[in-house]
Amino acid sequence: MRKKLFLFVLVILACSAFISAEFRREDIKVHKLDNGLKILFLEDHDIPNVALYTFFHVGSRNERPGITGVSHFIEHMMFNGTKRFGPGEFDRKMEFSGGSNNAFTSDDMTGYTDWFPAKALESMIEMEADRIQGLIFDPQVFESERGVIASERRMSVENNNDSILSENVRATAIMAHPYHWDVIGWMSDIQGWKRDEVMNYYRTYYSPNNAVLIVVGDFESAKALELIKKYYSGIPAGLPPPAVTTVEPPQMGPKSVLIRKEAQAPSFNMVFHAPNCTSPDFCPLSILDITLLSGQSSRLYKRLVREEQLAISVSGGIGETIDPLLFTIYVKPRPGADLDKLETVIEEELTKIKNEGITEQEYQKALNMIRSQFYFGLQTISGKAGQLGSAEILYGTYEKLFTQMDDYATVKREQVQEAAKKYLSENNKTVGKLIPAGGAK
Amino acid sequence: MKTTAKIAIFTLILISASLVAQGAYLPSPERFSLKNGITVFYLKSADLPLISFRMWIKGAGYVFEPAELEGVANLTATLMLKGTAKMDANAVASALDFMGARFGVSAADEYANVSAESLSQHFPRVLEIAADCLMNPSFQEEEFTKERKTRLASLKAVKDNPGAAVRSYFQKAYFGAHPMGHLASGTETSLNKIALADVKNYYQKYFRPEKGIAAVVGNIDKAKLLDLLNATIGAWKGTGPAAPATTIPALPKPKGQKLVLIDKPDATQAYWVLGAPGYAVGDKITPQAAVMNTLFGGRFTSWLGTELRIKRGLTYGASSNFQSWTPGGIFSASSYTRNEKIGEMLQIAFDLLKKARAEGFSAEEIESGRNYLLGQFPPTLETNASKATAYVRLTFYNLGFEYYDRYLANISSSTAQQAKDAAAKLIPETDFVLVVVGKAADIKKQLEKFGTWTEKKITDPDF
Repeated sequence: MRKKLFLFVLVILACSAFISAEFRREDIKVHKLDNGLKILFLEDHDIPNVALYTFFHVGSRNERPGITGVSHFIEHMMFNGTKRFGPGEFDRKMEFSGGSNNAFTSDDMTGYTDWFPAKALESMIEMEADRIQGLIFDPQVFESERGVIASERRMSVENNNDSILSENVRATAIMAHPYHWDVIGWMSDIQGWKRDEVMNYYRTYYSPNNAVLIVVGDFESAKALELIKKYYSGIPAGLPPPAVTTVEPPQMGPKSVLIRKEAQAPSFNMVFHAPNCTSPDFCPLSILDITLLSGQSSRLYKRLVREEQLAISVSGGIGETIDPLLFTIYVKPRPGADLDKLETVIEEELTKIKNEGITEQEYQKALNMIRSQFYFGLQTISGKAGQLGSAEILYGTYEKLFTQMDDYATVKREQVQEAAKKYLSENNKTVGKLIPAGGAK
Repeated sequence: MKTTAKIAIFTLILISASLVAQGAYLPSPERFSLKNGITVFYLKSADLPLISFRMWIKGAGYVFEPAELEGVANLTATLMLKGTAKMDANAVASALDFMGARFGVSAADEYANVSAESLSQHFPRVLEIAADCLMNPSFQEEEFTKERKTRLASLKAVKDNPGAAVRSYFQKAYFGAHPMGHLASGTETSLNKIALADVKNYYQKYFRPEKGIAAVVGNIDKAKLLDLLNATIGAWKGTGPAAPATTIPALPKPKGQKLVLIDKPDATQAYWVLGAPGYAVGDKITPQAAVMNTLFGGRFTSWLGTELRIKRGLTYGASSNFQSWTPGGIFSASSYTRNEKIGEMLQIAFDLLKKARAEGFSAEEIESGRNYLLGQFPPTLETNASKATAYVRLTFYNLGFEYYDRYLANISSSTAQQAKDAAAKLIPETDFVLVVVGKAADIKKQLEKFGTWTEKKITDPDF
């Protein structure tokens, strides 16, 4: 009853103007605890739920040979027991209170994403704070989870030809930097992780000063801050984690990978070393990426899928990463397609852009796509939390989200051509082909 | 968004003086009918400069296509974007991409789905292009040939991905010749039989404006939207006779065990799907089945998740779900594990099915399942697109806009006995279909104890 009366008042108040829950810089509140934990709040009362996201500055780029995949393994172990909450209790408690969660690990970050009804806020904050330093790594659970990761690798890499090829191509293109390996890690490392080295890694990177907490949704900032202080203040700051210092040396000539295995259809990759997300060349290359690969009007889709009919699909491009990674062109060729011809066609298209640049129409298309993608990503509390968290890790501040559209709009069309010449060069290239051996033709 | 919802509730309360909190979860939209028979639901949401459009065309789904032309419904849907009287395929793609808009037509099971999303400023142009594709598709021979070739190539390529391929093998093994067994993509055999004339014929008979149910949610005023709709999809008129309305035959019910093994010699993991009869859309068992399935295989800590992943580390993923249509539905469970463990995994899965039927679930589990479903519900209606889809879906299946309130109220009051009854009714014991894709040489011995298997090779044509 009380609720209905409340609604009545709101209706009258709101007759003249819509209450807008759009994404505004001034609605984001920032706090920092003494132990270094950074906190972002964005109240959004559209639905009675909260997205609580915790991002850590750690990913596979922080690993070394022998323990590859360990960042992702810890992401899994974060659900497997602390001194206070035994193995599996995090999920059981969370689901009991109506919440669900997921987590992800990338080259640069590890994110824990919780979605739950507003009333579960305290218990979620309590459990999130607890697992920053409380994991026990029970030996039996450790072994069981190793099996889960091995299954994940079998599913996502070993039983997926496109992934087998892209893992090989990445490892060939990138020689020295830890981006050499995929986030999942090598199978022999997965089989070989030792408990003490995993715990050591956890202690190094899981500290309040290496994390950002993002709360978006139906909560009151003042109350949430009190709760966060209650559960997080007692966690001591850790030493600053060691910096990643390896710099990938310049590539000095084209490289290639050839894989022969049972398959119905071949796979094809072409990749180039690319700059990181804070480079002035990043935005021009993103525009180039859209011109070449986004949508059925993109140059490579039109040429490879429609005109030459060599491929089923094209994908790839440049991703936002802390250190320089790759500009990728992934092609799913048709069964029986001539991969040399396919490579020649891509080269022709790249040469055209290097010689003539992109059209004004293509440039505007790219800006429109970037803008609409940005707004599509802000439709949900989880979308907002994810964007805020990623920006914090990649750029050091969420404020980047409010200047990013301007960064793109100030790119000049000629810069796209310059970036194509600079990065999509012969000496900077690695080509990978997976060719069906046996099986159907 | 919130404000609109409140106004709608307030109006409803005044009009009906009902005690039921109608539309509490789904804001009530406005409704209008266009002169060509398309029903449209509309809700203004000014949060972001975005608009979503959805339309289902009843009867244009793949279950209604002739068996020998399997795949023609979805092929027709795709080709509608490949050129109109005014624009060729490249022009359509360029115009949509230029705006960063999304627009697609696809054939689902019982209906064709038209969807569009864009920044508000671009929406009029997007709807204009959408209407042109719906009303004036040119169905060029060249585009038809290209699209068919791409589909044939994709059908081969999907067999390199056992996790995806096992779904198609299961659909065929379970439904057999029943139209629900049609693959939206078609098969190698059927695609080679389809001619352009079949596509044109399917479009004329099945893609009918009078069968359309549409919804628009986003940042646009009503008057403007009405003008826009009348000038675009409102002008769409069917030509010639429509296909006579048909009903979908009753779904097949497996008798005994049908076991199918597909040999993929390079697989290092074996993938399986087990299926049995479920229930029709709107069946009163829906909330109890949802609670039961949440606990059995519908969330991370479900029985399947706990026994196959959490406790034993056999797999990255294990789950079960219900799918429902007008004439009925299915229950299915699925997972995967390394070759040497498939026998052990299937045995555990069978033991769990048995336990669910025999013992049901504890009171604490039921409470957890209820909380989980209630807590996870609001985000499912958070976006413009999800609201638009809900309006269309609830109308299509005649469920009423207060459906979710009823559903959630029933979840709230569900009991352990109800969940046990649902398990006894819906969890299979002796009658089911089980399909495994894996390396036969490594797994066959382990599978023998479950019965007699029909074997196929992954390289055999079709599924």
